[in-house]
Amino acid sequence: MLKYSAKRLLQSIITLFIIITIVFSLMRLMPVEGYFQNFEKMDDAQIQAALKSMGLLDPLWVQLKNFFIQLFHGSLGKSLIYRPNVPVMDIIADKAPISIIMGLVSMAISLLLGIPLGTAMARSKSKFWDKFGTAFIVFITAVPAAVYYLLIQLYFTEWFNIPILFSLSDPKSWILPTLSLALPNTALYAMWLRRYMVDELNKDYIKLARAKGVSNKDIMKNHVFRNAFVPLIQYLPSSLLYTIMGSIYIESLYSIPGMGGLLVNVIQRQDNNMVQALVLIFSAIGIIGLLLGDILMNLMDPRISFENKGGAR
Amino acid sequence: MEQEVILSVKNLHVKFDLRGKTLNAIRGISLDLYKNESLAIVGESGSGKSVLVKTFMGLLDANGKITDGQIIYEGKDLTKFKTEKEWLTVRGKKIAMVLQDPMTSLNPLKTIGYQICEAIELHQGLKGAEAKAQAAKILQDVGITEPEMRMKQYPHEFSGGMRQRVVIAIAVACKPKILICDEPTTALDVTIQAQILNLLKDLKVKYNLTTIYITHDLGVVANVADRIAVLYAGDIVEIGTCEEVFYNPRHPYTWALLSSLPQLGIKGENLYSIKGTPPNLFTDIKGDAFAPRNPHALKIDFVKRPPYFDVSPTHKARTWLLDPRAPKVEPPKILGKLREGVKNID
Repeated sequence: MLKYSAKRLLQSIITLFIIITIVFSLMRLMPVEGYFQNFEKMDDAQIQAALKSMGLLDPLWVQLKNFFIQLFHGSLGKSLIYRPNVPVMDIIADKAPISIIMGLVSMAISLLLGIPLGTAMARSKSKFWDKFGTAFIVFITAVPAAVYYLLIQLYFTEWFNIPILFSLSDPKSWILPTLSLALPNTALYAMWLRRYMVDELNKDYIKLARAKGVSNKDIMKNHVFRNAFVPLIQYLPSSLLYTIMGSIYIESLYSIPGMGGLLVNVIQRQDNNMVQALVLIFSAIGIIGLLLGDILMNLMDPRISFENKGGAR
Repeated sequence: MEQEVILSVKNLHVKFDLRGKTLNAIRGISLDLYKNESLAIVGESGSGKSVLVKTFMGLLDANGKITDGQIIYEGKDLTKFKTEKEWLTVRGKKIAMVLQDPMTSLNPLKTIGYQICEAIELHQGLKGAEAKAQAAKILQDVGITEPEMRMKQYPHEFSGGMRQRVVIAIAVACKPKILICDEPTTALDVTIQAQILNLLKDLKVKYNLTTIYITHDLGVVANVADRIAVLYAGDIVEIGTCEEVFYNPRHPYTWALLSSLPQLGIKGENLYSIKGTPPNLFTDIKGDAFAPRNPHALKIDFVKRPPYFDVSPTHKARTWLLDPRAPKVEPPKILGKLREGVKNID
């Protein structure tokens, strides 16, 4: 187990290294406007001098080397346009906690709603709960998220007398944004769990369990659910991390000061350093999600093992 | 010799709803199972072998239902069972089952120990360490060495033959009265088959079991069965002791079945096969279901379903050929070589 995790960790670091190199190299192709606040007012000589002082005229591999040295010291450079001269890390540290908490809460909600819904659907195949669940899933997947996010905000705030705008200190204002954020994942979890559970239910070992006299309830609990949850668990870390990265809709609807709109914002404003830093962070998050998923899966499923164990014949 | 009947099937009819049509899977089977005997149910695919035993455990698929008849076990009619609670008094506890494919009949994510202990805790009232000790003992009985270590392992760490031993251990761990083996050796290679059959024979004595084998492998039958029931199109066409059915078969279907044993083939000639296909069970069958494929069929075979004719107190067959008025028809000559052939099977 430890050996496997170490191996996967090493692979992930190598992948990340390659991604950083590619992203960094691609960023060099961006127009140089993105390095200056007042590009229009500068003449050519000034621009060249400034680029030189920032080390941007060095050969690519020298720039890359410097960037990695910087990275190992925990710095991703400074913002140039978005908030001039503020370290990128500080900007993110400002916004990340709220996104992380929102992400965790909405993840918890989607698991709490999605798992019982998926289970109920699998148990009552083609009866009420299955039809209800299917309708819900189709609605959530087919209708653009912005539509039901807006409806929720418009009507629920009115019906339940909840403030429209988010405020850190008012727990009631947390309900709608986290719930909205949880809806797509709820549908996904329910859909996959139902599918995996129905798959498991049709397997021979369920017939054997039934033949040995295990009650339906225990078969569902001890055999079907557990086995169906394993393939799902692989995706949980990724989906948590993507939720944390935030949703532009939700954050702008409720004016939540999170990370959601940040990337789009800095791309529009051509803040090259910020774009570079955020792309790196988001790809790192993606890779960590996959890594955690694999490790969790490895913990849950004894069949997945990359070590040679004795005893198998 | 009068034997004690442990399970009695009376005029059982099972129908399935398939795409709006009704399939008559079992068409009036009556059968007495004697205590401590070993009964083999043989027949080709689709003859209703598995469906028949599934009704004993209430494990019919949702679209199947018993439309008529009784299954009497310990004074209760199993066909009247409605709730899961009622069935749980029989499943595993009284009647256990060994399934066909050991590669898929164990839960891949649970240890072998868990899966055996689950049965022990349900049916023997033991818990925790006691259950584990009992599981180890049963594993030893089915021929798995180092049971304590093996119990901590998962199914994928076992070979096919070993898994079938585990499946058998689970069935035995229920302490059933009747053990149903649904094609227990079909998925195994030939060298392992004999081992598993011997194991089942040993366990039958050791645990005082009544066993039902479902198979289409007559080699298995010759090896393990006391009595044989030949199923065709959802009906028992002939039933008798192993000796009687093999060496004095009376129903033309049994003749055909035995003639198609590859051991009876003559070098250089094509192996015998039964012409035609089994009848369509969606339609009502008139007369003898085997008549259209039967070269010896009489006119009445197409009109009226034959009753059972007793050949001996233990042997009966459902064919008009046994009627005193019927013409004498000799069984195929090739069956004379059967004694020799069966020896080769063993």
